[in-house]
Amino acid sequence: MSYSLYDWNQSLQQRNEYVEDRLKDGSPVVAVSYDDGILMLSLRPGQQRKVYEVYDRLMLGALGKQSDIESLRIAAIDTAHREGFERSPDDVSIQRLVGFALSPAIKRVYNDQSAIPLTLRIVFAEMNRTPDEDHFFVMGYDGEFAPHNRHAVVAGTPYAEEQAEAVLAEAAPKTLDEALRAALNAWGTARARLSPKSAEDDEEFDPLREGGENGDGGDAPPVSDDPAVALREALKDGAKVEAGILSRNTTRESKFRLLDEKELAPVLEAYQ
Amino acid sequence: MLSNPGEGRGDFAALVGWRSPVAPDAAVRPAFASPGGTTSPGDGLAQTNIHGTTVIAVKYRDGVINVGDRRATGGFAIMYDKAEKILALDDYTLMAISGSFSKAMEITRYLRHAFKYYERSQLQPMSLDGKLSELGKVIAGNQMAALQGIGAVIPVLSTYDRERDEGRIFFYDAGGARFETGEYGAAGSGSTQIRGVFEYITKTKGPFRDMDRDTALREALTLLEIAADLDAATGGAGKVLPVAKTITREGIEDVDEETLRTVVNEILSRDPLAVSPSGR
Repeated sequence: MSYSLYDWNQSLQQRNEYVEDRLKDGSPVVAVSYDDGILMLSLRPGQQRKVYEVYDRLMLGALGKQSDIESLRIAAIDTAHREGFERSPDDVSIQRLVGFALSPAIKRVYNDQSAIPLTLRIVFAEMNRTPDEDHFFVMGYDGEFAPHNRHAVVAGTPYAEEQAEAVLAEAAPKTLDEALRAALNAWGTARARLSPKSAEDDEEFDPLREGGENGDGGDAPPVSDDPAVALREALKDGAKVEAGILSRNTTRESKFRLLDEKELAPVLEAYQ
Repeated sequence: MLSNPGEGRGDFAALVGWRSPVAPDAAVRPAFASPGGTTSPGDGLAQTNIHGTTVIAVKYRDGVINVGDRRATGGFAIMYDKAEKILALDDYTLMAISGSFSKAMEITRYLRHAFKYYERSQLQPMSLDGKLSELGKVIAGNQMAALQGIGAVIPVLSTYDRERDEGRIFFYDAGGARFETGEYGAAGSGSTQIRGVFEYITKTKGPFRDMDRDTALREALTLLEIAADLDAATGGAGKVLPVAKTITREGIEDVDEETLRTVVNEILSRDPLAVSPSGR
């Protein structure tokens, strides 16, 4: 039996479909710059963390299979710390980390026909002196990556990411409070608007999507395409908001921290 | 697939293959120890390592306060008068360093990475005991160099223990053994000269732990000034302002320059040392 170009194409397509199908139901991760730092926000169904510190001025968030996210997270942390210790913390940049260490590794797995591709979509954020100098990178399961300015989103579909980014671009937040509100709105948007056609049709035509086996454990997407409804329903189902920030002007040794419930309560009031 | 030399245990030493620098051939120099100081006076400059001098940690009502002079010496030469000897390892841990400057810097850089690497990869902070052992291991690894008098590092580690809700101070010997102290810790060439004064202060003025920040700061800076007067290697506050940092429940904070300058001016305006001739 011969292996034709057609077969090759077919298998590639199947791999992509396999992964994209599993990413669709994941909880989006939204990252946005504001004057005093960068906010990365998501909703998690259980105890599993979604937003992680990588290095002094780097953080990441992802959707996909938790085991895949975990191995990539550790690879990112290992590489960053080795570089930062042997050279200088100033030499650890997201551009170098993604371009030379992580992307080639993911690409290798993706190209290996006998391995299951990593099921994930990751957003990286690097804080610098001003919001304009902040860097964002979004990387997919095939190792492809793209730089972004000011904000970046990973969500179930490219369409959902576009919609959420439009929300962030319009909000252009300056304070943490504004950033939180914009990020929640963007999360709801990314969750509610997976494709141009209404989510309702989607639901009817694709009953197999129920109970997808992705690691995020998210429920089926909400029926309405209203961001506020999507958020309210997620919160009602017991999802928790997880928000990590990198602070530009802190005197603390760690720039990264997770916001606590007290800090999140005022912005969540509208959705309760 | 994706590499993982840290083996998932958050072990930073394994990740970078780090081990304490080993001293050159022990036969080169006779082995005699002098913690914090240099064994061979030399002519300063190139022959000896640069050394940091006096650092002090005392408890106070809200936590721990650390002060240190800014001087670094090489033999009898003053090499640098802006040395930073009170260094944050993470949000709740301060290390005050004395002894070989190069080794201390290397150790600080290593520990900062080791603590953060652990926390970031394991998603929980390293325990206080874990941190103390890590520092002990590093000092023990450096012991051969220390015995030859070419690189002893004697740190004082202060931290805010959030479980017990109190500040704690630990000091180490050159072999890496650690001791917890109730009230104060000091290290460096000037520390021996002032050791008894700590005891005198706690016996006459009450324990440091009951003082407010400004009182503790004044006592600590006075002690540092006495060390500068009695020890040739410690820098006085009249030339370069010392460094002072506090650790409390809220984390680490610098004592602002304004406050420092006020307290230092007050100390400097007092009578000179009792050993000076009378009549000023």
